[in-house]
Amino acid sequence: MRISYDWRLSRLINDEGMVIDEIYWTSDVTVPNLVRRLLLLQKGRMSPEARILYERFDDVEVCPEGHLDDINWPPYDEDQQKMFDEAAIKMTKLKIAESSGDLDKRLDMLVSSANEIRSTWTTSESRCIEWVGLFLTEINLDTNRKEIINSIVKSESISSAANLMETTQPLFSPSEVEWKSLKKHCELAVDLTQRMRQHEDAIRILTLDYMPTLSSLIGPLNASKLLVLAGSRERLARMPSGSLQVLGAHAAMAAHRKGASPPKHGSILFSLPQVGKSPRWVRGKVARFIAGKASIATRIDHFGGIPWGDKEISKINSDIEKIISKFPKPPIRK
Amino acid sequence: MKRKIISLGWGVRKEGRNIWTRNAVKGISVRKERRKKDGKNEWRIWDPTKSKIAASLLRTKFDPAKIIPQPGNDCLYLGSSTGGTVSHIHDCVCGSGNHHKGQIIAVDISSRMMRELVKLSEIRPGIVPVLADARDIAQISPFIYKKVDWIHQDLSISDQAKTFVKIAESFLKNNGIGLLSLKGASERAADGSLEIKFEKAEEILMNSNLNVIEKIDLKGLEEQHVLFYCKMKCID
Repeated sequence: MRISYDWRLSRLINDEGMVIDEIYWTSDVTVPNLVRRLLLLQKGRMSPEARILYERFDDVEVCPEGHLDDINWPPYDEDQQKMFDEAAIKMTKLKIAESSGDLDKRLDMLVSSANEIRSTWTTSESRCIEWVGLFLTEINLDTNRKEIINSIVKSESISSAANLMETTQPLFSPSEVEWKSLKKHCELAVDLTQRMRQHEDAIRILTLDYMPTLSSLIGPLNASKLLVLAGSRERLARMPSGSLQVLGAHAAMAAHRKGASPPKHGSILFSLPQVGKSPRWVRGKVARFIAGKASIATRIDHFGGIPWGDKEISKINSDIEKIISKFPKPPIRK
Repeated sequence: MKRKIISLGWGVRKEGRNIWTRNAVKGISVRKERRKKDGKNEWRIWDPTKSKIAASLLRTKFDPAKIIPQPGNDCLYLGSSTGGTVSHIHDCVCGSGNHHKGQIIAVDISSRMMRELVKLSEIRPGIVPVLADARDIAQISPFIYKKVDWIHQDLSISDQAKTFVKIAESFLKNNGIGLLSLKGASERAADGSLEIKFEKAEEILMNSNLNVIEKIDLKGLEEQHVLFYCKMKCID
């Protein structure tokens, strides 16, 4: 015997296909209740009518899709169809609204917009420096980058900016309109710096709360970047550490598929000083070790484990030091 | 010179190289496509570079009218996105005000895409938007009370053929039409070249309860895509 059900009714059917018992949903049949019912069914739960039949009879098999094979399953009448159409739209709207509570999506927005700001900032900052350097030819454009932009923002003309930076006066000065544009562009670079800081602060707060263990291991900014690359915390937690190790190395992985040697680490792990500042012959070993630990850390965060404290983190850092000191010289090329 | 009009079923016609569907909501384009009047009716152009079904109608060696669903059919569309193709299917399955009493269950996993689809379903009765993971039968089955006549799967995931077989065997009627838009780039790179991926998918379909009627190559309209036109075997 089996129980088949949809949102309207539940039937107990014997092996010969005969309906032994059936219960219809009759009380409080409203659109909001139908939305609740559909949400339950979508989660794989039984309808209340199916549950009653299940409790009433022993040795029955529950078939959530059983009604699809039943040629005698009643079709929707006009009212049911209307109610179902309305409920489906309402339920989808509700689920769309609920998706704003998803921290994965919120972090994705934050990290992606921070990346966009950083990329805009890099372009604007370089442009400002080159622009100012065109007029102030004696100034060092590599060491005083921050100072150059701040001086332009504070000054009323290029000569006052030159005075502020204690450099020689320009031979040619920009026209009034040109100066205004240059100053505005520098103001934009300063504004972008502040906005970037604001974004990164928000990312830190959210990630420290959402992934405390991974954040203490590799830093909240890197943790959030890994999460965004993986798609969600769950996907990151279920990912093998070998995949986590190469997250962000898309181009190298594509080259590897065509025969090149595999990447040792992705861009996120490389940005960690333990990996990036290690000798090149141990970077792969350190990256593999950190990826393994990061994988465990994500699983602790996702599946509700006890977050790591300073003791565990310092143990991992000392293990990294041991790996680095074990290989002081590069391997001999064969 | 007036182009020859070939009818591909109710509300769908081919004029030269263009396919048009009879607009169920007059005066409104779904994705800024061209519209034209013909007597009392309005027609919307169905862009084959944006819809794999439209592309397959142009590329099939068989009768294209057999690929598209009939008015009043129950359809399942997996990977509906914002509903561009769904709206054309709606034109022929439901018609204006759903006077054909058809139904299209449109499933997508992305809440961003679903936002647009919900708006579309509010002006096009007969479209049922479902925000769900199309790979999970339990998430779709509460919205379907009987097996459907027509299924189209357009998902950017690996194991597309396996998913399609699972879905079709659960939801497709005997003799129902199943269309699988297979995106080669979404399958695992380790599986091999595009041809090998398509062959593997075909093999999976052949070993199921589906009859593969045609493998339609969409090259030139949709790169790295083929559309498998299948029919469900009659199972007692």
